[in-house]
Amino acid sequence: MNMLEYEIVLKIKIIYGVQGMSSWSMYWTFTKKAFLRSSVYRFEVWSRTGSNIIFLLMWGSIWTALYAGRDEAGGVTFTAMLTYIVVSQFLDGVNEAGTPLWEIQEKVRTGDISLELMRPFDVPLRYLFADFGSVAFYMITALLPLYLVIFYFLDLALPTNWLTWVYFIISACIGFLIRYCVEMTFGLLTFFLVETGGIEDIFYFAMSLLSGSVIPLWFFPSWLETIAVYLPFQAIFFMPISIFIGETTGGEVFTSLGLQLFWLFVCYLVLRMVWNRASHKVVVQGG
Amino acid sequence: MTIAKYIKLYFKLVSAGIRAQLQYRFAFVMRIIGMITAYTGTAVTMWVMLYQFQTLGDWNFFEMLFLFALSILSWGFCIILFFHFRSLDTYILNGTFDRFLVRPLNPFFHFMAMKFDIASFGQFLFSIVVFVIVSFQLQLEWTLGKLLFLLGAIVGGVLIQGGLLVIISAFAFWTTKSEQFYWVAMFPARNLTYYPLAIYPKFIQWITAFVIPFGFVNYFPTTVILNKETPYFPDYMGYFSPLVGVLFFGLAYFIWMLGLSRYKSTGS
Repeated sequence: MNMLEYEIVLKIKIIYGVQGMSSWSMYWTFTKKAFLRSSVYRFEVWSRTGSNIIFLLMWGSIWTALYAGRDEAGGVTFTAMLTYIVVSQFLDGVNEAGTPLWEIQEKVRTGDISLELMRPFDVPLRYLFADFGSVAFYMITALLPLYLVIFYFLDLALPTNWLTWVYFIISACIGFLIRYCVEMTFGLLTFFLVETGGIEDIFYFAMSLLSGSVIPLWFFPSWLETIAVYLPFQAIFFMPISIFIGETTGGEVFTSLGLQLFWLFVCYLVLRMVWNRASHKVVVQGG
Repeated sequence: MTIAKYIKLYFKLVSAGIRAQLQYRFAFVMRIIGMITAYTGTAVTMWVMLYQFQTLGDWNFFEMLFLFALSILSWGFCIILFFHFRSLDTYILNGTFDRFLVRPLNPFFHFMAMKFDIASFGQFLFSIVVFVIVSFQLQLEWTLGKLLFLLGAIVGGVLIQGGLLVIISAFAFWTTKSEQFYWVAMFPARNLTYYPLAIYPKFIQWITAFVIPFGFVNYFPTTVILNKETPYFPDYMGYFSPLVGVLFFGLAYFIWMLGLSRYKSTGS
């Protein structure tokens, strides 16, 4: 594509941008559409819930066996640990309702995502808002009812202070956004790689272990804990859950939230950089 | 056609498939590296889990590694032979399944021989390295009898997991869906069996022993080889692996053929 064509594309974007709806209501439309779309693929919602329950059962059993009847280990009570795993599986369900990594990779490979470059919206934002819709549907129809029942029947440690709930929700939302940025960045790497085999495995490994989603960081060997602390993954699961079960309290909560915001900023910046490079590459190659 | 002819034909189709896959050598290597990374990730997770706690139930890290590797080894063979069964729904929806019906071959055989995924080299490499490490660490003495027992367990494991893949694919004949059943049911179920079944509630253990006999893939055979206790079950359960495999696969084949007999092309 030469400079002239590039300018035409740019102009189309500007014209659309001017004539189009005001941008927030446009993105809101993606959210609504995604919500409605999920309601059509109800089988998918059921199946995802099924595997979520199986994994909850698995990690619940593993931690029960690890504690082996002890009331506490490493300064953490068994009830707190069980709560940790249940909340972690809940957050896992929330995060998995978004566009999965392989779908982003597929969209890059088939060129779907390049087509969207022509349209008058910002692609990463558009996917984020679509994710809000599918997450909302999944939460309302499956996750919230399911976990309300689980919280009712299991003997778990719920926060007694309503402020803790507020902090947890804020923290979990920031975690969700960080996960989105990281996953999207990993997905966009497909633009630069011929084969993505190893990439997704690294991502899933980091997401399951370094995020503390199945083993809290305080049970890590200290060298691994140090590594995990300096990576953004712990901000997705470990930080919000620690607030929930009361391991992070008082002033630490604000340090924790501040660190999360820092990581969100960094991850967003990286996503922007990768996205700019990627979309530039498309322009140069002509799709 | 005789069985010998079928076997000859199978190798012909398979060698064509292998040559096709080796055309994309870089992709092939990357897939293997990816798989080894993923399994190593699970092994590292087990190690971190046991760093503070030492044992899960009465299983230590190396015993758990053995259990895990046995599952991966038979899964490797399963990928070669049956993994593509899960996407039968795509073939049916696209109408490409019909070509398996118009040739003078058993459709089950033909569909099975269609693909031969040699990327499962990654599974073999991972599990064999783990077996060697664990054998040294636990000072296992491999007698001929034990090796034969292991071989039987692998055959059983391949047939059980392959059988479940075949049953899942047969769902496509009735519901035009199969791939998703794999991700809902079989993928999480396989993950469950990476850990000793003894840690799960009793009803799960019963299901994995008698309904979907995943326990015979790696758990029961491992308890025999490593002399572990199996609560609720007799110690000799592992010896039944090959038999359970044959029976379960027979059932799967029967269900698949039953589904096939009532299959109507989507006409696309």
